[in-house]
Amino acid sequence: MPIAYSRKNFARFQSLIALFLLCLALSVLSDKFLSFSNLWNVMRQISVNICISVGMTLIVLTAGIDLSVGSVLALCGAITAGLLKNGIELPSQNLYIGFTVLGAILAGGLTGSALGAFNGWAITRFNVPPFVATLAMLTVARGLTMLWTGGFPISGLGDTFLFIGTGWFLGIPVPVWISIVVVALAVFLTDKTRIGRYIYAIGGNESASRLSGINVNRVKIIVYTIAGALAAVGGIMVTSRLDSAQPNAGISYELDSIAAVVIGGTSLSGGRGSILGTVQGAIIIGVLNNGLVLLNVSPFWQQVVKGLVILLAVIIDKSNGKNE
Amino acid sequence: MPKPIRYLLFAVVFALLAYNSVYFRKLDEVKAGAAAFDAAGYAEDFWGKKLIPGLSKAVDLNALTAQLKTEKDKAFEQYSHALGIGNIRYFLVKGQGIVADVSENEVSVKLIGAGEGAGNVRIATEYIFGNAVRDASGAIDINAFTNSMDFNNVSAEINELIREKVVPPFKSKVKKGDRVTFHGAIELNREHLQLNNIEIIPVSLQIEQP
Repeated sequence: MPIAYSRKNFARFQSLIALFLLCLALSVLSDKFLSFSNLWNVMRQISVNICISVGMTLIVLTAGIDLSVGSVLALCGAITAGLLKNGIELPSQNLYIGFTVLGAILAGGLTGSALGAFNGWAITRFNVPPFVATLAMLTVARGLTMLWTGGFPISGLGDTFLFIGTGWFLGIPVPVWISIVVVALAVFLTDKTRIGRYIYAIGGNESASRLSGINVNRVKIIVYTIAGALAAVGGIMVTSRLDSAQPNAGISYELDSIAAVVIGGTSLSGGRGSILGTVQGAIIIGVLNNGLVLLNVSPFWQQVVKGLVILLAVIIDKSNGKNE
Repeated sequence: MPKPIRYLLFAVVFALLAYNSVYFRKLDEVKAGAAAFDAAGYAEDFWGKKLIPGLSKAVDLNALTAQLKTEKDKAFEQYSHALGIGNIRYFLVKGQGIVADVSENEVSVKLIGAGEGAGNVRIATEYIFGNAVRDASGAIDINAFTNSMDFNNVSAEINELIREKVVPPFKSKVKKGDRVTFHGAIELNREHLQLNNIEIIPVSLQIEQP
């Protein structure tokens, strides 16, 4: 009994312990790691992954997956930047529609939501595996980004817009505030609302959920829509931080996001996990990325290390599942 | 909350958001305000008045690579330009070298004065794309442009000038063993620095045949 108890406690805190050990090692290996500017920089970078990973967590909790978040992020960033910078010209109507910062952000957010909703609709309506449907969306969204930008970055977006990605509020970077709000809303959604309970139920046993009267398709579409919207939030933050919408932004972000979810203890088979666990996972991935750069590890080796960390996390997750 | 009030509230919020999100103008007035941008003319002007005179400030490639090996941050701060805060940054460089190989797409040059074991640099002669020259100069301010399309078109026109003015006379004469003096732009990644595979987008090329 004591062994089982301690094993359970270890499983609960394993990502926190991993994070602590990682920070300890990096602070010994690099004198820059614990510098104020580096830590805020890491937090800014992590904020984007946290937003995406929160959406990914909701999807994985329903036993789904979304491979399109990186491309959706790029497209939403590009749409926001393009509308803000160039507006829309309708020569046949002799009309120019200009967008304020608010308007451009709403358009980017709506684009992400619509693409997410489309993912959910394709998955539920045609019974397409989430892996395949979102893989298709990955390509579609990247292609649309190239079409929208012409392959060129869209830069020079103005100081008001830059505040989102580079500004400070009450001594904390704005992206960190945004990720705090996103996490708080997601925790409320999963822990305090009916739809949050449905999400866990669907991931635990979809057939039983359907039989017990839950509108499974509707919940899934909502979840994918939220994930799309959060990818858009990430895209807007990245675009603002760089003062530029890059057509190739967000490549492999889906992997960092899935890694954060898995390392955070969310089961890939659904029904088990938490938003706060994912936040820990995202911080671990962010710190790991930062540490590998500070230690001058070759980018090729960085990918190898990250892959192995994800594999290790999945093995530990499986082992925890067996023990439970 | 009764449904009519809920709908009314929704409509008010929607109207407020819409009012603060978009604005409408007559297209011809907008176009008249921002007279049609002549990217080719701008690029010609930039080439003659800013880029060519600015070549005197180009950093010697041998000196740059040496400094990058010892004081990377200082070298990037001192000589590079870029838009935004990414790791990709551009340098305006100059140098002299001996042509080691001539291929369809590039001319490989062994730098004079480069240390033992230094790799050759490549002068692009076929694929002249990207924003390297525009951004390396540090002489164009993106905020002076009303839209990103104009800004990107300037880059395309600068590349066109290189393809028309700089490359053809060089490409028609250059051969292995020639001594070449070049000015141009290079792109380096601050985090993942690769100094053994540098490609130069040329702005000025001169051959001294032995």
